[in-house]
Amino acid sequence: MISFSRREKKWMPYLLFLPVLIYLAGFVGYPLIKALGIAFTSEAGKLSFENFITLTRDYTFWKALKNTLLFLIIIVPLQVILAFLLALFVNSRFKGYMTVLYIISIPLALSDVSAALMSYNIFTSHGFLNKFLMSLGIIETPIYFFGLGLSSRAFWVIVLTELWRATPLVFVILLASLQMISKDYFEAADVFGFSSWQKFFYITLPLTMPSLQSALLIRTLFAFQIFSVVWLLSGRDIPILAGEVYYQQAELNNFRLAATYGFIIALICILISWAYITFLKTKHLEA
Amino acid sequence: MLKRFIVVLIISMLLTSAAFAGEVLNFVSTQMEPAAEQKFAKGVLIKGFTDETGIEAEFITMPNYNDMFIRLSAEVEAKKVTTSLVCELHSGLDLMNAKGLFDDLTGIVLPNRTFIKALEDYSVIAGKKVYVPLMQATYVMVVNKKAFDYLPAGLTAEDVTGASEKWSYDALLSWSKNLNDAFKGPKLGFPMAPKGLWHRFLHGYIHPSFTGYQAAAFDSLRAVKIWEYLKELLPYVHPSSSIWAAMDEPLLKEEILVAWDHTARVKNALIEKPEDFAIVPVPCGPQGRGYITVAVGLAIPVDAPQKDNAIKLIDYLTKPDVQVKILENVGFFPIVKEAEGAIPVGPLKILATGVLAQSGAADSVMVMIPSLGAKGGEFTATYRDVFTKIVVEGADIETTITTAADKLRAIFEEVGVPLL
Repeated sequence: MISFSRREKKWMPYLLFLPVLIYLAGFVGYPLIKALGIAFTSEAGKLSFENFITLTRDYTFWKALKNTLLFLIIIVPLQVILAFLLALFVNSRFKGYMTVLYIISIPLALSDVSAALMSYNIFTSHGFLNKFLMSLGIIETPIYFFGLGLSSRAFWVIVLTELWRATPLVFVILLASLQMISKDYFEAADVFGFSSWQKFFYITLPLTMPSLQSALLIRTLFAFQIFSVVWLLSGRDIPILAGEVYYQQAELNNFRLAATYGFIIALICILISWAYITFLKTKHLEA
Repeated sequence: MLKRFIVVLIISMLLTSAAFAGEVLNFVSTQMEPAAEQKFAKGVLIKGFTDETGIEAEFITMPNYNDMFIRLSAEVEAKKVTTSLVCELHSGLDLMNAKGLFDDLTGIVLPNRTFIKALEDYSVIAGKKVYVPLMQATYVMVVNKKAFDYLPAGLTAEDVTGASEKWSYDALLSWSKNLNDAFKGPKLGFPMAPKGLWHRFLHGYIHPSFTGYQAAAFDSLRAVKIWEYLKELLPYVHPSSSIWAAMDEPLLKEEILVAWDHTARVKNALIEKPEDFAIVPVPCGPQGRGYITVAVGLAIPVDAPQKDNAIKLIDYLTKPDVQVKILENVGFFPIVKEAEGAIPVGPLKILATGVLAQSGAADSVMVMIPSLGAKGGEFTATYRDVFTKIVVEGADIETTITTAADKLRAIFEEVGVPLL
């Protein structure tokens, strides 16, 4: 049995988490601060807004911002609605609901790259969908879902892929929340003659609000990180903010603009997180 | 207890660092970076060298020129050079040499091999032997033999494979139209994905073919014809080109029948189905048949810790049999004449025949990738952006190329390289 002196006992907890602290400071904290500094440093090495001015004059930046926000506006609400419906369905605990639960959760095990490649194999001109439609005689020549001049079609393929890939995450969070609601509330509602809609709006929705808030927050932040699926299915036909960070850094070696893009993404994420936390604040039922 | 903890921590740190402090020759490369090529470099090249000489070497890859330059310049500045051998493109070696990072290799003796003269000449910069050529590559056209049945009137397969003057960009347009009509869809492909090498086609192939230069005549009337031509060609280019980084897969799946790409990126198609494909020279334009030669070389940093062993590694890597192994695994071509006879009959011979037909064409206009270092990305992005604006989005040609030409001139001026 190892015994510690009083002084050692006092310092031991700090000593134990010191390696983690050093790691975080070195590999997360320092790069973050450095990136922030780079974003505000001009080519001549002076503190300035030069990079932000360059970025706002670049037509790709506005396209990337517009596309990222469009993905966010379309994908996140659709995912939340779909996940809510699926969670309510599974929570009704019909016979075989566990099997359905597992099937819905499968995409959780997939990386975004795998999901994008599966989607590519379905929708490409020689993919499963075109072959299936051609074998049925519905179409004679393949339908092109993505590529040069087809970015609007590719956009919807990406939306579909993201819905399939990332809805289960929201679903799992909401299902866990639904399962925690006490049956007593619903029994009491039955006594007062509540309709199903009333039960949903007055019991289910308020009690799942904290989880919904977390799910919305996570999904929104993840939506800003959307990269692999867009990159693999559209290249730079549909520029997005995260893709531009990679493009500027890896392809153009322009780390100043890459850091500036990164800073803008971080800023938007902070603003959205603040809005969610402020406006979706849970009202406690028993205040 | 605290003291004991600190002592154990220090001992473990010392033991760990000691394990990494062996006498190993560090061979840093921006080439052979994909996983399969790294496996070949480490498992075959380095292992073969160690087995033959008993010298331990480590193959370290860098994703791009910029990362390599940062590492090497930091080592040289700090006078703690750990890198003994560097492998990079001619353009990168040229730039790093200008910063005084390399030794002069004049007088290095490598017996029983004859280097290709043009490459040997390129490796001597301002009287200094900067590097020893290691391998070379180029970009070619790959044709599924089925496509020869749809050649436009007056053009034969021999015209295409033999680089006759009839094999022109106009002929490619007519051929693509015929293929589109016959197969009810576009059958011509280019690697236009961000990771693809489409920009090389724009600056190193079509520009020299139409204007005689890569960038110097970017806003000329001759250059206007390029963009008009590409607008006309676009309907016959497979839309998925914008997400294809390499053409071997789409060729194998017959999504396309005619493609342009780097030799290393079409090699797999030839290996899998050598009977199905032919490698042909690129078409010619009004100013000739523009094409790029990619030269890769080996240089020794100043104050390299294992200079003698690095020379032994250079000697090993440029041996004819090792050169053939590089061709077989990486798709880059030998730089010593003795290796040419050693290429076995098969897919690589097909590739080599096409490459030789391209470089041997009477009207060929050979160009090298400009030595722009970290600005190389900006240079290539300019060509891609102009393509997107004019050809995909329909922007005005003259306005767009005038603005882009100013940008290109500024890049060359900033780096201090003459406009090519």
